[in-house]
Amino acid sequence: MDVTEILKSLTDTFPEVISEATAESGIRARAYVDREKAREVCQYLKDSLQFDHLCSVCGVDYIKRNELEVVYHIASYNHPVVLMLKAVLPRENPEIESAVPVYWNANWYERETYELFGIMFKNHPNLKPLILPEDMLGEWPLRKDYKGFPNATARNLV
Amino acid sequence: MNENLEPNEMIIHLGPQHPMQPGPFRLNLRLNGETVMGAEIELGFIHKGIEKILENKTYLQGITIVDRICYLVALTNEECFVGCTEKLLGIEPPERSQYIRVILEELTRIQSHLLGIGEFGEFIGFVSMFMYTIREREEVLGLIDMVTGARVTHSYLKFGGVRADLPDGFKEKTISVLNNLKKSVDDFEEMFHTDRIYRERTVGVGVLTADVAKNLGVSGPALRATGVPFDIRKNEPYLVYKDLDFKVCTETAGDCFARVQVRLNEIRESIYILEQCLDRIPNGPLFPENTPYSRRTPVMRVPAGEVFHRVEDPRGEMGMYMVSDGSDKPYRVKVRGPYYPTLQALPPLIIGTTVADVAAISGSMDGCTSEADR
Repeated sequence: MDVTEILKSLTDTFPEVISEATAESGIRARAYVDREKAREVCQYLKDSLQFDHLCSVCGVDYIKRNELEVVYHIASYNHPVVLMLKAVLPRENPEIESAVPVYWNANWYERETYELFGIMFKNHPNLKPLILPEDMLGEWPLRKDYKGFPNATARNLV
Repeated sequence: MNENLEPNEMIIHLGPQHPMQPGPFRLNLRLNGETVMGAEIELGFIHKGIEKILENKTYLQGITIVDRICYLVALTNEECFVGCTEKLLGIEPPERSQYIRVILEELTRIQSHLLGIGEFGEFIGFVSMFMYTIREREEVLGLIDMVTGARVTHSYLKFGGVRADLPDGFKEKTISVLNNLKKSVDDFEEMFHTDRIYRERTVGVGVLTADVAKNLGVSGPALRATGVPFDIRKNEPYLVYKDLDFKVCTETAGDCFARVQVRLNEIRESIYILEQCLDRIPNGPLFPENTPYSRRTPVMRVPAGEVFHRVEDPRGEMGMYMVSDGSDKPYRVKVRGPYYPTLQALPPLIIGTTVADVAAISGSMDGCTSEADR
């Protein structure tokens, strides 16, 4: 399948939800998705467009815009296109629907994003810290305004 | 997990330090007799915060940091990080550098697989296997050492090229090492195929089917052992892999035996790739000419943008997502390691098996907890 076909099918099916769908190259595409509908778009990608492999879920903190982004990298075992799907969230009480019902391996990625950025994934089966100790919950270390680095977390490293 | 414990059930912890583990993670098993009824993994014992450190280092310093994501495959990590940055800069290394990178990355693949096979033998009680493979691995590490000056953490790749050229006599030494290695791989295969106890411990143990493996997000040898020919070198060629002739090794059984067999076959394919590279490597510069970025630039500003780059790690699909805001440090780097989803798939795979098989299944995944934790 080719990038333009994929993007056309996506924008035709979800005209209200998908915005700024662009092809960066023959194998990379990017689109913004409305955060309320992210899970439904993932379901459609998996069922209809052969995007059956979730590469990663991660967060990015854009502190100047006062926004957080959740970025899904979704690829396929059958074609080389990787779709970068982004959802924009406010920095206060960011919440998004969990993608675990669609992609089983989103489980740990979302737990990690939760503890590092403080993004709540609604209806996640087991949302608790994965790699950080429990007492660091609430500090959200990968946000840009985190004050503990390097003194509290990586002493002698920087 | 402690809730609803039946009277004849108990919970045991494997780890955080246990001989079956490649690094520290804790595996909590709920057992009924010897059968595993439930399993849960706790990570974070060697969390290094590499994504945060990378945001606070310049791009050039970052190369040294990504080595430490997984010390076994330092060069593949570097390739991923450097590849991301090169895409943002819009430069491409000249052909000689690309060949040198392929040579070193295939050597890395060989040594990683050799250690994986040896460790797996050790986990299931075939301890002498570890001695055999580690001897061959030292020879391969010697070759990498000859070029980069270090055995495990190299800091060898630079943006647009490599730090140093191949030394004199590298080709002859490599060919002799590879010829010995070919015989050893045949010996390993014969040992594995004829050892009755080994076969009983591995054949039909920890079976993954293609659909389940895809659903769990597994990649690398564990996926190819189920018959899915998924390899980033073929699907999305980087460097000069599109000019090289090699095949994607697959098996169909999907059990522990097949996973080890895939690794053995991949060592053979890597040797074949190396022979082609050594024959074909052209002369020429190591760095692209007419670019403002040279290897001597300590402070380098990278144009704003974002990129997702994937390479084939010995353990599967390695990807990095890099966001640049135009300064001299990356704004955000997300490391998508190959072992992370494979480790995540371990609990569903071991439920219903016995405690003795847990070591075999976990070992056949050839893990690197350092990379899962980052």
